Amino acid sequence: MAAATETFPEIPFFDLKVEQEDLDAVAETLRSGWLTMGPRTADFEKAFADYVGTKHAVAVSSCTAALHLAYLAAGVGPGDEVIVPAFTFAATAAAVIYCGATPVFADILGQHDLSIDPEDVERKITDRTKAVAAGHFAGYPAPVDVLKELCDSKGIALIEDAAHGPGGYLKDKQIGSYGLAGCFSFFSNKVLSVGEGGMLGTDDDDVAELANRLRCYGMTSGTWARHSKTTTTYDVVGLGFNYKLDEPRSAMLMKRLARLDRDIARRRELIMRYRTRLSKLDGLTLPFRDEDVATGSGYVMPIMLSEPGKQGEFRAHLRDNHGIQTSIFYPATHEFTAYRERFPGVSLPRTELAARTEVTIPLYSHMTDDEQDRVMTAIEDALR
Amino acid sequence: MSWRVPLAHIAIPEEDVQNVLDCLRSGWLTMGPRTGQFEGEFADFVNSPHAVAVSSCTAALHLSCIAAGLGPGDEAIVAGMSFVSTANAVRYTGATPVLCEIGGPQDMNIDVDDVVRRITPKTKAIVAVHFCGYPAKVVELRKICDERGLVLIEDAAQAVGASVAADGTRAGSVGDLACFSLFSKNQLCVGEGGVVTTPSEELATKVRSLRSHAMTSVTWDRHRGYAETYDIMDVGFNYRLDEPRAALALSRLPRLAADIESRRELARTYRRRLAGLDGLELVWSDEDVEHASHFAFPVVLADEPTRDRFRERLSDLGVQTTWYPAVHRFTDYVENFGELSLPNVEAAAQRHCALPMSAHLSQEEIDIVVQSVEEALADLPDAAAA
Repeated sequence: MAAATETFPEIPFFDLKVEQEDLDAVAETLRSGWLTMGPRTADFEKAFADYVGTKHAVAVSSCTAALHLAYLAAGVGPGDEVIVPAFTFAATAAAVIYCGATPVFADILGQHDLSIDPEDVERKITDRTKAVAAGHFAGYPAPVDVLKELCDSKGIALIEDAAHGPGGYLKDKQIGSYGLAGCFSFFSNKVLSVGEGGMLGTDDDDVAELANRLRCYGMTSGTWARHSKTTTTYDVVGLGFNYKLDEPRSAMLMKRLARLDRDIARRRELIMRYRTRLSKLDGLTLPFRDEDVATGSGYVMPIMLSEPGKQGEFRAHLRDNHGIQTSIFYPATHEFTAYRERFPGVSLPRTELAARTEVTIPLYSHMTDDEQDRVMTAIEDALR
Repeated sequence: MSWRVPLAHIAIPEEDVQNVLDCLRSGWLTMGPRTGQFEGEFADFVNSPHAVAVSSCTAALHLSCIAAGLGPGDEAIVAGMSFVSTANAVRYTGATPVLCEIGGPQDMNIDVDDVVRRITPKTKAIVAVHFCGYPAKVVELRKICDERGLVLIEDAAQAVGASVAADGTRAGSVGDLACFSLFSKNQLCVGEGGVVTTPSEELATKVRSLRSHAMTSVTWDRHRGYAETYDIMDVGFNYRLDEPRAALALSRLPRLAADIESRRELARTYRRRLAGLDGLELVWSDEDVEHASHFAFPVVLADEPTRDRFRERLSDLGVQTTWYPAVHRFTDYVENFGELSLPNVEAAAQRHCALPMSAHLSQEEIDIVVQSVEEALADLPDAAAA
């Protein structure tokens, strides 16, 4: 971990560890001289599709890019609405706006379960609704089975924002494999991380074809195809983008994917240790249930302070007295300046309460028990 | 399947590999200190006050079009000879790209007179492309933009290190915004990446904000304890570069001037050895070669069927070539903008062929290319008749 300053953070809220085999894979790729999307990306896509259980996986530059392509694949355009959670990162809503459509925010179930509320989703469906985006908060599966039925009955698309996956399960299927498309993130703090990167998983051939084409400018063939003499020229069909991943990142992701189950197992173990000790404390509650941990991806550890508006004080105490970094997952999207200006008057009481009580405490797969004990002792101290 | 001479060699010396590995070992991969340092050194290289690293040149163009104020109902005049992303970026904002003419097959850069003819009350910006690294007439366009209150955007994807005037003024330092590519085949390459440069602090701030979802703080600031949370001020994007790519770019930047000089030397060699061959025309001039930074080396054939046969023959001989189709002829552009007529762009697209160009082509490879070109020309069935 890069030391940010001499003293802070002693315990970061996330930490990314790069192993020797990751380094070797990147070095080998760089030495090959082929950096743009090619055989390594194709191999990683195949391995990722196998892992999450989708027919196709299309590697992209970020989860934001994956969401944009997923909405386009669902036919979202000007005049349409997409129902999205506000208790997640703003990209889920922003990508709707990229399509010229309007994000309609749905509330969460409550402090006990931070997933999108299917009943509120149903209330917000109108004639203009083209898709519903469901996030899997902290990697705990949202009720996408219920949402899938609802969407199917209304003839609209379900898009899964699986940025907090992969590795979470609902029943016998991975999160991200229920919707028309599942959108995954490989950002630094994610369970499968590489810096910047994303993936769109889908069972639908047409969605995969569209994503594959539009991630590369709408071109009918890419640089690798021309280098490998598959084609000599190309046409451009549709307004596309540069959402390509490159080979060094694919090579590193391939190695990290092979360790993902092991990393997630350790994350779950750490979460259970947290839950066992922190559940005894007055002044905070823990969202989700102990039995949910085994089917989550273990992305982050959210705690909910009992008293709203105390996050700043609590976090400052952990930072200043204990060198512990925390975060807030998330400020509510509809309360950001950009969204208040564009979509005024949105009221989501449960989201707003969660946004004022949630604190994300440190969690990473190589966290030691000692480090974790320090965090828990510090939290006990902060609550006193 | 392997080429005797591929279009471009990407040599990643061991020092670059080690710099990337050092970055990876640090565990800090998302935009941080290396990106900041790269931006500073890149700004110095192109002699621009501000540089903002982004995920691609397409992202750079998109953010530049937004920063230029383009939106629905606006028009931007765009060089008709370019990669499709130049015009696409205008469309991302809801504005209309007005494709314009180039000089012709021998000068594939934007035709300033045609730009002036296409200016309407809706015109908000001009996007000039330094095609293949040969400088477009951005000094003239600068005057036109100043007189009419238009924004000048330089698409310098292919032109890092080129000079746009006799005094050595660098490509990318004349426009209100300039966009560079760090894509694999470029002079400064990292895989995927781009940079926006601008003389304006206000535009730099706007671009910097929009590349990371218009968040008021980034992960690195929060990691250092400088910010506890954030607001979102606009609808932004994830157009961030990451630290390993910034480390690679930083490692390569000190060699860039020498690499460009090697490319220039290759262009001089090609011109010397290919001059006077029947059926082949060189483009631009010897003097232009000295100002260009040589992304690619295009030559011109008699017509499209001849060019296609020439490329096919070179391919058979193991020499990879490429060419740029006319943007207005792509299916998506015909569907959205109808059948436009841009005769010079069409002639250039039909007749040019880009030969292998990179900083590290060996003498043997140069010989192969030149001999293959001679052989391909001799094999053209209509060469004698033409």
